[in-house]
Amino acid sequence: MVNTRILQQEFDYFTPKSAQEALSLLSKYGSEAKIIAGGTDLIAQMKLEKISPVYLINILHVPELNYIEEGNDLRIGAAAKLRDVREFCSNNKEYIALFEAVSVLGKVQVWNMGTIGGNLCNASPSADTAPALLVYKARVKLLSEKGERILDLEEFFKGVNTTAMAPDEIMTEIQIDALPEATGSAFIKVARVGADISKVTCAVAVERDGEVCVSCRIALGAVAPVPMRAHETERILSGNTIDASLVEEAGHKVAEEIKPIDDVRSTAEYRRGIADVLFRDVFWKAWRRSGGEE
Amino acid sequence: MKKQTIQITVNGEKHELDVELNALLINVLREELSLTGAKYACGNGQCGACTVLIDGESVLSCLTLAVAADGAEIVTIEGLAKPDGTLEPVQEAFLDNAAIQCGFCTPGMVIMGKELLDKNPLPTESEIREHIKGNLCRCTGYHSIVRAIKSCIK
Repeated sequence: MVNTRILQQEFDYFTPKSAQEALSLLSKYGSEAKIIAGGTDLIAQMKLEKISPVYLINILHVPELNYIEEGNDLRIGAAAKLRDVREFCSNNKEYIALFEAVSVLGKVQVWNMGTIGGNLCNASPSADTAPALLVYKARVKLLSEKGERILDLEEFFKGVNTTAMAPDEIMTEIQIDALPEATGSAFIKVARVGADISKVTCAVAVERDGEVCVSCRIALGAVAPVPMRAHETERILSGNTIDASLVEEAGHKVAEEIKPIDDVRSTAEYRRGIADVLFRDVFWKAWRRSGGEE
Repeated sequence: MKKQTIQITVNGEKHELDVELNALLINVLREELSLTGAKYACGNGQCGACTVLIDGESVLSCLTLAVAADGAEIVTIEGLAKPDGTLEPVQEAFLDNAAIQCGFCTPGMVIMGKELLDKNPLPTESEIREHIKGNLCRCTGYHSIVRAIKSCIK
């Protein structure tokens, strides 16, 4: 019987001090091992017996995975705390969609415990940082003993709680290219109460020239097996003069493009309806920001 | 279950403990150190009743492995008052504002209030509400708790 007062599962536990050490543990134990950082998702899932790792590898004390560096591009270590990511983004307004996403992810305690890499690697369809990172065209760096590879975040998510990562790989870094000057972005989450899991989330990044949308990226969460880009909707807007009727048409397209399900948090029908209006709100917010109006 | 030795400082006191690898911090605090202030309630990170400070940051002790706290400086609700029993201003404020009813959420709420005021001595009401949004209270309706934290602003 599930009892969340204790953790009943038995496992072995390691605290590597370097990425190399973590990788050699992973290559030894493979799919029986699980990387743990903040543990806010993992320990909860283990208590509910959804997963049963035999080995836990805590990467929270690997300094080379915990950093935020801004040069020509932005590089965030996978084990950077959500608190630090939020703080950085609050001082760097070009990443405001990511700031808005972390701000509604869980609560203060979760920002203090959880990491940005953990939010992505858990690969929940409702991972709040994912849509924001998708509209910034983020890439993730994966490392194994065989070497490293870099994937577009869009290619990283494969299904509910499933990623493109091999059992011997860890995520080490999230990369975001410098954004064009006139880019505006925004993120809004629809949920029942403050610290809840999302019903629907939407992020938009738009590059604007006067009344023309030069390019536009739209991503949504909790409306498909993976956090998804709405490419067809993006095509309606990119390169065109923006007016209310075009954005309304785009909203209807978003509702068509997503693949929501009925679950405890919402019905698919509700999610389609709300995605339509939510997208328009987020788009206009990003649009105003790209024009320096907000 | 295998054990590991950890060293933690709790409310200023150093402890060396042999803990099972799957022991949760909340149970080590409550059962081994008899610090029963932090409460077990939901067990999965929804309610905030188990909140303690680790290295000055609020965390959920029911989702923290005790082994992961090795080397940490922990403060529980028992550690806020001075040794002579003088309460922290935020604790006094909870009493003065009747912000305690059944009391189950109180340790977590007070810890959150303490963390907020330490980092931001002049929070707005919305910053207070934002800071305690992960701590559920079924009695007060939150008004008295917000009022208590607000009353600490000088």
